[in-house]
Amino acid sequence: MALIVLVLAVGIFSLSRYPLTMHTPQLEQHIPAICPVRTDPDSLSVYGRDWSTLYPARPSGIAFPETIEQVIALVHWANQQQMALVPSGGRTGLSGGATASQGELVVSFERMNQILNFDPVAASITCQPGVITQTLQDYAAERGWYYPVDFAARGSSQIGGNIATNAGGINVIRYGLTRNWISGLKVVTGRGELLDLNKGLIKNATGYDLRHLFIGSEGTLGFIVEATVQLTRPPQQPRVLVLAVPELADVMAVFTAFRQHLELSAFELFTANCMRHVVARGVPQPFAVSSDYYLLIEFESASDEPMDTALQLFEQLLEQGKVIDGVASESEAQAQALWQLREDITEATAVYQPYKNDIAVPVGQIVPFLQAANDLLSREYPDYEVLWFGHIGDGNLHIGVLKPAELDSSEFAQRCAAVTEQLAQLLAQFNGSISAEHGVGLTKKAYLSYTRSATEINYLRTLKQVFDPNGILNPGKIFD
Amino acid sequence: MKVMVPIKRVIDYNVNIRVKTDGSGVETANVKMSMNPFDEIAVEQAIRLKEAGQAEDIIAVSIGVAKCQETLRTALAMGADRAILVQTETPTEPLAVAKLLKALVAQEQPQLVILGKQAIDDDCNQTGQMLAALLGWAQGTFISALNLDGQTLEVTREVDGGLETLRLPAPAVLTVDLRLNQPRYASLPNIMKAKRKPLTTLTPDDLGVDISPRLTTLKVAEPPQRQAGIKVSSVAELVDKLRNEAKVIS
Ligand SMILES: Cc1cc2nc3c(=O)[nH]c(=O)nc-3n(C[C@H](O)[C@H](O)[C@H](O)COP(=O)(O)OP(=O)(O)OC[C@H]3O[C@@H](n4cnc5c(N)ncnc54)[C@H](O)[C@@H]3O)c2cc1C
Ligand SMILES: Cc1cc2nc3c(=O)[nH]c(=O)nc-3n(C[C@H](O)[C@H](O)[C@H](O)COP(=O)(O)OP(=O)(O)OC[C@H]3O[C@@H](n4cnc5c(N)ncnc54)[C@H](O)[C@@H]3O)c2cc1C
Repeated sequence: MALIVLVLAVGIFSLSRYPLTMHTPQLEQHIPAICPVRTDPDSLSVYGRDWSTLYPARPSGIAFPETIEQVIALVHWANQQQMALVPSGGRTGLSGGATASQGELVVSFERMNQILNFDPVAASITCQPGVITQTLQDYAAERGWYYPVDFAARGSSQIGGNIATNAGGINVIRYGLTRNWISGLKVVTGRGELLDLNKGLIKNATGYDLRHLFIGSEGTLGFIVEATVQLTRPPQQPRVLVLAVPELADVMAVFTAFRQHLELSAFELFTANCMRHVVARGVPQPFAVSSDYYLLIEFESASDEPMDTALQLFEQLLEQGKVIDGVASESEAQAQALWQLREDITEATAVYQPYKNDIAVPVGQIVPFLQAANDLLSREYPDYEVLWFGHIGDGNLHIGVLKPAELDSSEFAQRCAAVTEQLAQLLAQFNGSISAEHGVGLTKKAYLSYTRSATEINYLRTLKQVFDPNGILNPGKIFD
Repeated sequence: MKVMVPIKRVIDYNVNIRVKTDGSGVETANVKMSMNPFDEIAVEQAIRLKEAGQAEDIIAVSIGVAKCQETLRTALAMGADRAILVQTETPTEPLAVAKLLKALVAQEQPQLVILGKQAIDDDCNQTGQMLAALLGWAQGTFISALNLDGQTLEVTREVDGGLETLRLPAPAVLTVDLRLNQPRYASLPNIMKAKRKPLTTLTPDDLGVDISPRLTTLKVAEPPQRQAGIKVSSVAELVDKLRNEAKVIS
């Protein structure tokens, strides 16, 4: 308790850069007239941050709007009071986007969690932003449809958060990012104005498509208060292979061979130590052999043909020595157990408070980049355990650096930040990105200029100014 | 020792079962089919016996439609040596299956038949026991551990009161429970090899067994929908509801 009080006090003293004039007691006077609010220490620490661990949770309170009108009222109030607002979804974000360390008011969407409409002809669902991703997926599945954006945080993340981060995940290679599936968006801008964007239209050639500005804006331009998402036909009998690949250099040869002959719905990489952490949690070990790299490949197999093709490809790659073993799922349960090898990595290693990089390079540059990155990381982190895993078919790799137990968190973070600086320089040489899908938030802000030019960042700032002139929406995220 | 492993092709455990609108059965068109999960455990156990040098020939057997070949190929890819399909379009009931298996045992002369304790589609839990009775063999059902010492089998069974250990002489029929082992994945090299392993197809007539159904299905219906949960606002209210509505405490 004493600790939390202290944390709050620090929060209030360190606000100088942010337009905050309120503190807790006044919040409790004002907000209840608009919507429910909480200021108890437990809630402050829970709602004050996402999955990233680098920044403290120090909000002033949490507002729980239940209607669009209430969101508008909150924004008007915040503009009058110069109060910073932090939009908050499922808080599964990995970049500190939903973190409130500066006494901001968190705006949680968990009570705006209704599915409003299902349209089987348009193949779309209209819903509130607080609907959990998995709830949306299940709702579609029950009706014979499929919402294809999917990743391990599905059980907690919200569709509003997915839109605000333009979430990617495990099926991007086949279905693209969240952006591809949003046909309508209602947003409340930083000025407190409600915009009804694109209204579920597939075609709408009427000038600038503002919808796409808000998708991926990490809560800095407006609140997402309603969305229409498109659905597609469910995949038929997905089959999962896991292949053992000894050499990094061969990973993309396997990719090219498979992608040329099969419609892939996933192509994922993970290293031997990732597998070790997940197997230690009780997930069945698929191989007798061990290998430095593993690939998980998924495709539909309603007929025998795709699997026959996959076996032929495997045989060729085996002869060439590019793969040394492989397994295939024979049932849904096995498909899920194989997916656990990849999807449980983040949770299995969370206890080591990993420092995370989420980088992308053009798919064709993956191998030379990985070789250069491997040199860099083994030179700079000789004594840390480094995990590599990710959506390699999209050119996206997650790098997790595990904190040695005895090392102080902030010292660890400092060392990793210094290495990230070098990694960002390397990425710039490869036309890569310092954040592939997790967003910039707080954790990648310092490196933005390695991916976006100064001129570009100027335009971003100008856009922010247009939608949020008083800077009340998620200030300090993406850029200062 | 020769080991026979009967396996059944069933609707995949993870598929949401839908009842046909006319109530005549469950929907199977375009539905993912897989090996009965208990049978995977039986296959795995047979392979482990072989790997331990205690079994030399593993015969996987399936009774049903032509597509059961796929399921047999999975068993072959896991490590069975050869496979027999008794092909029939007739729905298979436990007694008919037990009779067919008895005929196959006479033909193949295994010393051990390892089955799943039940199939997850009809949940009958009868075939192994019926087969043991027809053969007049010892039976160890729902086993969670197996020790083979020459011709003597020691099995552990999960029973209501705890664990029961039985010793039985071969030849014997075993039915396996979930905790016996963790079945392996079929490796891609083994899936390829399995394509070349022998798979023989017979018919019930070849074995001289009449499998006409003895049961008539009157109607298949969905189980009642689960009621949604409710939230209570206090412990007192919870206790009150447990006592007066659910009547689970007094
Ligand atoms: C185990 C695990 C695996 C993951 N795998 C993936 C992956 O494969 N691909 C991927 O892309 N991400 C992944 N993530 C990251 C994360 O799940 C996604 O970024 C997700 O989209 C965040 O959704 P959320 O509701 O939790 O958002 P939050 O973390 O609550 O917020 C994310 C950002 O969106 C803003 N925001 C939230 N709701 C709104 C709203 N209604 N209006 C405006 N702004 C809003 C927040 O301010 C913040 O900037 C993973 C996370 C975990 C923990
Ligand atoms: C028979 C016929 C069938 C058609 N069918 C379709 C159809 O099915 N679907 C469809 O979408 N359209 C259709 N169109 C419309 C038209 O072909 C498209 O809009 C096409 O994309 C225009 O390309 P253009 O090079 O002719 O552009 P232009 O007509 O030259 O210019 C179109 C616009 O783009 C701007 N512009 C052109 N080049 C540049 C540049 N390099 N940088 C910035 N701005 C630029 C121009 O200022 C103008 O505003 C059809 C037209 C015809 C005549």
